[in-house]
Amino acid sequence: MSTTTIAAAPRAPTARSGLLRRIQVLEPATLVWLALIGVLVFLVAWPIAELVASSLRHPRTGDWTLSNYAAAYGRARYVDALLNSLALGALSALICAVLAVPMAWACSRTDMPGRGFAWFTVLAAFIIPPYLGAVGWILLAGPNSGWINQGWSFVTGTPDSTLFNVYTFSGLALVIALHSYPFIFIFAKSALDLVNSEMEDAANILGAGTWTTTLKVTLPLVWPTILAGIILVFLETIALFGTPAIIGIPARINVVTTQLWQFFEAPVRAEVAAAYAMPLLLITLMLIGIQRLLLSRKSYVSQTGKGGERRPIRLGPFWRWALFGWCAFVCLLSVVAPMIALVQASFAKAWGRGFSFDNLTLQNYTFLLFEHDAAWGAVVNTFAYSATSATIAMVLALAIAYVVKRNLMPFGMALAFLCMAPFVIPGIVMAIGFYAAYAGPPLTLYGTAALMVLAFTTRFLPIAYANGAAGMQMIHPEMEEAVRILGGGRLTAIRRVVAPLLKKALLGGWLLVFILATRELSAAIFLVGPETRTISVLLYDLSEEGNLESLSALGGILLVITLLFVGAGMRLIGHDFMLRRH
Amino acid sequence: MDSITSSGRRGILGLGTALALGLPALGARGQAPPAMTDHLRRLYDAARSRNEQVTWYTSHYNSETAEQLGRAFEADFPGMKANVVRTTAQVAFQRLSQDMRARVQNCDVFSSTDFGHYTQLKADGRFEKYSPENLAHVIPALRGIDPDGFYHTTSTGTVLINYNTTRVPPEEAPKRWTDLLDPKWANRVTVGHPSFSGYVGNWVVMMRKLYGWDYFKRLERNKPQIGRSINDTVTMLNSGERWVGAGPGATTLRSASRGNPLAIQYPEDGTLLMIATTAIMKGSRNPNAAKLFVEFLLSKRSCEIQVENYSEIVRSDVPTFPGGRDLSTVTLIQPTVEEIEKGIPEVKELWRDTFGV
Repeated sequence: MSTTTIAAAPRAPTARSGLLRRIQVLEPATLVWLALIGVLVFLVAWPIAELVASSLRHPRTGDWTLSNYAAAYGRARYVDALLNSLALGALSALICAVLAVPMAWACSRTDMPGRGFAWFTVLAAFIIPPYLGAVGWILLAGPNSGWINQGWSFVTGTPDSTLFNVYTFSGLALVIALHSYPFIFIFAKSALDLVNSEMEDAANILGAGTWTTTLKVTLPLVWPTILAGIILVFLETIALFGTPAIIGIPARINVVTTQLWQFFEAPVRAEVAAAYAMPLLLITLMLIGIQRLLLSRKSYVSQTGKGGERRPIRLGPFWRWALFGWCAFVCLLSVVAPMIALVQASFAKAWGRGFSFDNLTLQNYTFLLFEHDAAWGAVVNTFAYSATSATIAMVLALAIAYVVKRNLMPFGMALAFLCMAPFVIPGIVMAIGFYAAYAGPPLTLYGTAALMVLAFTTRFLPIAYANGAAGMQMIHPEMEEAVRILGGGRLTAIRRVVAPLLKKALLGGWLLVFILATRELSAAIFLVGPETRTISVLLYDLSEEGNLESLSALGGILLVITLLFVGAGMRLIGHDFMLRRH
Repeated sequence: MDSITSSGRRGILGLGTALALGLPALGARGQAPPAMTDHLRRLYDAARSRNEQVTWYTSHYNSETAEQLGRAFEADFPGMKANVVRTTAQVAFQRLSQDMRARVQNCDVFSSTDFGHYTQLKADGRFEKYSPENLAHVIPALRGIDPDGFYHTTSTGTVLINYNTTRVPPEEAPKRWTDLLDPKWANRVTVGHPSFSGYVGNWVVMMRKLYGWDYFKRLERNKPQIGRSINDTVTMLNSGERWVGAGPGATTLRSASRGNPLAIQYPEDGTLLMIATTAIMKGSRNPNAAKLFVEFLLSKRSCEIQVENYSEIVRSDVPTFPGGRDLSTVTLIQPTVEEIEKGIPEVKELWRDTFGV
């Protein structure tokens, strides 16, 4: 908007002060650029700076000190939590790769039946918030009462025998993996989609069979991308709060995020938390660096992509159905089984009593909808914040992508860098930075909707930017130049040409940010106030009491509304919106 | 408030109560506002004219009871709104501390189950002094918990042994706290967490006082399931995940009354009596609504709702729940205020060393 108004203004020749004259000399685009820098500093740079500074300062005197680091790492228990996180991240990421890579390969390269079904499985697993899946798995695999273990006891005829205990390290890792594998699937499928059949044909001609070709040619080509996906899952896992909080306490496993939460126990030691978070930040920075190196090697895949012909590999009947079976198995574990457990619990008086008529009740829903004031508020908050954040993030991302891709300004890459920076900050760490920077005076945003929206916007800005930038790449400047030759301003060009052309990419990005925001917990839990509770926070509060029946009902409400949005979005832009950013 | 005015008030309130009793059932159902005393009327009018609503950080009840109290307050005082934030005591205090650090006033009325919070907040000058009119109706032994009158007992409760009746016949149920250490309950015990729950914090302090920390080292040999809230034990028993627990009287009985296979055992070595207090935060933007809400918590209507939910109550003029045992016939144990204040932070650390979380 400001572009046109400012563009018209400099014609008035009445410059009074030196400053005003200088502003007149500035290109309008410069002002936009400065404004964007300002927004990004506010959203990204300042909270990080506050975080680092507060980790180095004495909470009361404000003197520079390393005592916070001593407090943060002075106990074996705290160091153990860090090691637990690293091990958990590695195990989860490996499980994810095992789950996702065969699925991605089958969906992208083969004639496996039910490829659409596999794709919907991934989408569903992505929409279900991880902590909700965790609750589903508590219902399924509680050591004594879980359905799986009850069934196992029945089958083996020995009471109390346990097939799979969710309250263990491997249980925790599996539950996390079941809601993170979509990341690896998306990475792997996007890369596999670009490998053309000529490479495989060449291998075949030289005598290699399908499996040799796949293992020696196709997968090595996309290996860097898969590894990048594994790194992403690793980072997501070590930054995850909800699942470790719900499963970790009964399982006696303390991780970094639950330890950070302990530093926020009264008396609040935000500065110790900041110090404790620093290694997390460094590990993330390092791994993102490695990831970028890996992804930059990817170029040899895309160079040969697109041009060639792509034919699905014909699998024999056995392998077609074996792969389909694998996808169905993943679907069962990640979507169907936990959802059935949650739905049963949401209609149950006591979930442990299982399926029976006298156990059925609507009380959990009536409690939430009619007797629980905060529940409706939380539903409204969740979708209002998510929609607002997604909108702000996409507008900002588009503006920045435009400035960067059209080279409107020098150092445009600095903007892009700031935009992507939140990607390397775990949500929980960012929340601590936001708390340090904006909770108290002068802005005093603690407990306001603004703080939640700002945090969500910042947290998912990189995803919005990746979508916006990828979209901008597709539009050749000559179309805008045509508008400008015909006398339209840059803004007209953006409004009439760029935005309509990018409609799908923008909507896809919007939807992605929206879904992620509806399930956000790790930042929200630190920034929430009594008026700004979201469904995720309320679910967390309910989980404290083990109030799993009401919790399941609330989770159900969250999923139904999210699905409505996703359904509407997919009608508009097709079902592959998650893939567009690559 | 000196004793003369408060006894004068008692007279007025006695009349008010009589009037309320004269309206059978109607007032109790909350369909018509109960008769208000002059004092309550003044608070109500002031709160309404200033458009006040009350935000209540509470850990006193389970969520259902807390929400029901919030709704009943709105029904008794039309136009008022109660924003109920139910968490465990330590999480409530954590959020309050975060608020204070950010210098934001979110909470108007604070109801924790850890005395330590009150002594600390009082020493820091965080409370608004208020002497509720309804204090006159509170059982005398529960009055004057704070000699300076900054906080008042608004709820009581018990920590006792609860168990799943389909798994454990009554005669086999643990009779004493030390019975939970019996190896026959290995992988069968469920408890809450003192870093979350105030009830559990009190219980741990009390057990340490009775049996030393060794009690928990031995309990760990039975690998108890550790939740967060003390109410979590009820969920674990209901599901059959665990068989016996150190749990809350009210939530267990409430759940049993809804058909779940649960029962309680008052331990021979003592049922822990919880005295839980409430205070108004200084600088509240809703001072009248906050006072009105504290009055409501001590009101007859509030006690009736608590009784419906199987809670022990602070007034003697409301009949207790059916089957409720008169606590004067039970061995009660209770740590002192100093023991709780000093003990809870200590046992939180010890707990993490012993149980790993």
